[in-house]
Formats: sequence, structure tokens, C-alpha cells
Amino acid sequence: MNVFFAELIKLKRSLSWAVVILLPIILVASGSIMTFIDGRGLEDGWNTLWMRSMVFYGLFPLAVGIAILASLIWRAEHRGSNWNALMAGPTSSLRIVLAKAAVIAVLAVIMQGIALATVLVLGKVVFGLPGWLPPQYLAVSVVVVIACIPVAVLQSWLSMQMRSFAAPIAVAFLGAGFSAFLLVVGLDAAIFVSPYAAVSRATQLGTATFADTGDITLAVLAMIAVASLLLSAVLAAANTLVLERSDART
Amino acid sequence: MNARVLTNEFAKMRHLHVWLLVAVLFVVVAGIGLYTAVINPDFDRVTASSWNTLLGGIGSGFSLAAPLLLAAIASRHVDAEHQGGGWLLSATSGLTPGGLCRAKLLALGLLVTGVTVSASVLFAATGFAFGIDAPWPAGRWIGLTLCVLVVNLVVLALHIVLAARIENQLVGIGIGLLGTILALFSTAVPAWIAHLTPWGYYALSSASGYVDGVLVAFSPAYASIAGLGLVAAVVFALFTRSFDHQEI
Repeated sequence: MNVFFAELIKLKRSLSWAVVILLPIILVASGSIMTFIDGRGLEDGWNTLWMRSMVFYGLFPLAVGIAILASLIWRAEHRGSNWNALMAGPTSSLRIVLAKAAVIAVLAVIMQGIALATVLVLGKVVFGLPGWLPPQYLAVSVVVVIACIPVAVLQSWLSMQMRSFAAPIAVAFLGAGFSAFLLVVGLDAAIFVSPYAAVSRATQLGTATFADTGDITLAVLAMIAVASLLLSAVLAAANTLVLERSDART
Repeated sequence: MNARVLTNEFAKMRHLHVWLLVAVLFVVVAGIGLYTAVINPDFDRVTASSWNTLLGGIGSGFSLAAPLLLAAIASRHVDAEHQGGGWLLSATSGLTPGGLCRAKLLALGLLVTGVTVSASVLFAATGFAFGIDAPWPAGRWIGLTLCVLVVNLVVLALHIVLAARIENQLVGIGIGLLGTILALFSTAVPAWIAHLTPWGYYALSSASGYVDGVLVAFSPAYASIAGLGLVAAVVFALFTRSFDHQEI
């Protein structure tokens, strides 16, 4: 746990908060701005608002946002002699991997909370929709959060491996784009291979877009959750093995 | 700037795997653009509207992929100087920071030009491979390619300046992501709003589009894009000159 708290301390003066707050607000809102520009109404109230806000956000901006956070979290370790300090410390590779991924995942959870709040504010204040967001979307939000975990683990690994800030973000963009393509062609099983597909699929739940049928069933929710947890475990194990074989850099 | 400086920039790219990012740009543009063009119901393989969907595909491919990936390419190539103390090293060997930025723009610009032209050729080749009966709209095709190229180079120059000026690469990447959104929205907003940011000019480059649900041919906004290119060239020159007068 100490390693995790150490990571939280590093976040204190980090710019990651700007990403965590601004990214979901701007992107979720931008999905609905098109509604204003086109002059289309929200035919199906909250359902249409959720669809326009979340599906675009989940296609690639969410994965790119997590990638940016991962790059920020690892950036400190690649600077000065911090990498060697990390290698020389008593912390085991597994604990480093888990702490880094956990802190990125926590930020992703906060991002989803802000995204949800943005949808609520848009619905109530901007569009004046009656009632509240249907409760099934809260369950969807929980699944989105779970699906963010494998993306966090993978991006943490990429940012650990690549000293560049931008390269892992480009990988996330490409991965998310390719996964979106797999979902377009109806290849739902992609969620068991690509974390980006899992998170995109989760944001599409109940919207009848891409590979989604429009029904939120327990089976689909469980499938995405299981795929996400499996991917997280496999990626974390692989990342630990790689870090275990890494050494100090001169 | 001499040939050796330019060669040196290409040498740096090898270890930074910049070519990989450039290849990603090409693949994403081709993937998104060709897919959206070919699945479009207006792509009937016979009439001129098939060429128009392909022209639209080039536009949507670049406006979706280029803002973020150009930011990543510029950031990757410039960040190396921050990390390795390259600004001081170059300055002591006679190449000022501004000169280094100009060399980077030239080197990366050559690659981006290659990607833009290759993508355009690929889209045209796809049209010919499908055997579209209508004649190939050469003028608009070359016009769109040149316009997209200018916008790409302007966005690249902006990101080189940003990456050089602000060491934290989050800023450049964040602006790149915002640029993606602006590029996407610019297709739906009035033209004067699209003129306000460099990314809006992707929409102004379009050589085809939908008016009341019907696919029609446009002429790209040549004057606006030439204006953007001119303003960007002057601003880039001023910024890189100012780099030369600052202490490293």
C-alpha cells in the first residue's frame, strides 16, 4: 500500500488533474454540441443524450486520455536518475506494476465520475430533460470503470517501456481506432484481446451502436467485466515479468 | 541550414522510431478514409459521386488522424532535445535553437508530405481499381491534396514550436487532442468559425460534401488555405527567430 500512497503523493503537483477534469468535460460535452449545431432534438431524452455523449467519448478519447495519464505518471521515473532509484529500491516489480496501474485506474474512475456528472448537467441544465438519467446507465458506468482497468495496465506498461511521452499515446490512438473497426464489423470477441475494444464496447452499452444490440443484459455486462479482469491480470503479469528483467540504465 | 543538419535530423529519427509514427499516420488515414468511402451508399462504382466519396474519405481520414498524430510526431522528435540537452549541444556546434526547429520542420515536413501525397495516390488508385466510369476529377483531387498538405504542415509547425517552447509534452498532446475535436466539428459549423483555428482548415479543404443530404462537388477554399499558409510561415519564422535570442 505504501507504494500506492507514494504514487498518490507524486500526483499532488502533477498536471494530470487538468486531464482528469478537462478531458471528460470537453469530450462528453462536445458529443452533444453537435445536437445544437445540427438543430436536432434529443428524440429519446436521456437515452439519446447518453448515446451522443458517451459513444464518441469511448471510441478513442477515453483511451487516449488514459494513455496521457499513464505517460504523465511514468514521466517522472524516466527523468534524471529516477529510473535507477526505482531499480535499486527494495520495492518488488509486482508492487511497482500494481501501484502504477492502480493510480492510473483511480484517475480513470474519477474521469468517469466527471463524465457522468457532465451528462447529468447537460441533461438537466442545458437540455432541460425531465427526470434523471435511467439507472441502468449507472451500471454501465461501473462496467466502463472496470473496462478502464486493462487499458490502464497496458498503457502503464507501454509508458514504462517507452521513455517518450507521445509514443504510447499514439499506440493508444491506433489501438482504439483498430478496435473500433473490429466492433464496427461486429467482432464482439475483440474485447477479450484488446483492452481498447473492451472500453469502447462498455461505453456503447445500451446505445444500439456498433456491436451493441441496444439491450443491457446481465450477460453482456458480465462478459465485458470478465474480459476486462482477465486482460488486466494477464497484462499485469506480463508487465511484471518484463520489469523483473529490466536493469538500471547508465 | 545545410544538408548535414537535415541528414542529422533523419539520423535522430531512426532511433526515435519517428518513421513508425509516420507509418501509423498513413495506415490510420488510409484505414478510416477508405472504409468510410467504400461503405458509403453513394459509392456506386459508376458515377462521379464515387470519386466524391473518396475525396471525402481523404478529408475525414486526415482530419481525424492528423491532429493528434502530428502532435505526437512533433513531440517525439523535439522532446529528445529536451531530454538529451540537445539545444545546448546544437548551439555550441553552430546551430541555434531556432535553426534546429526549422531543420526539424523541414525533415518532418518531408515525411508528412510523403504521407499526404501517398495517401492521395492510394485513394485515387483505389478508385481506378474499382473501375469507376466517371472521369477522375484531377483538378479537385490535386487541389484537395495540396490544401490538406498545407494544413498538415501548418499543424506540424505549430506543434514543433509548442514542443520546443513548453517542455511538458502534455500541453502539445492535449492541444492535439483538442484539435481533433475542432477538426471534426468544423465540418458542421459555419465557415467563419472554421477559419478561427488551424484545424478548422481541414474542413475548408473539402472538395466534396453533403448539402441537404445530397453529395455534391465543392472547390476547396484555396484563398483561405493560402492565407493560413502565409500567416503560419511568418509566425513560425518570427517564433524561431525569437528562440535564437533567448538563453538556453
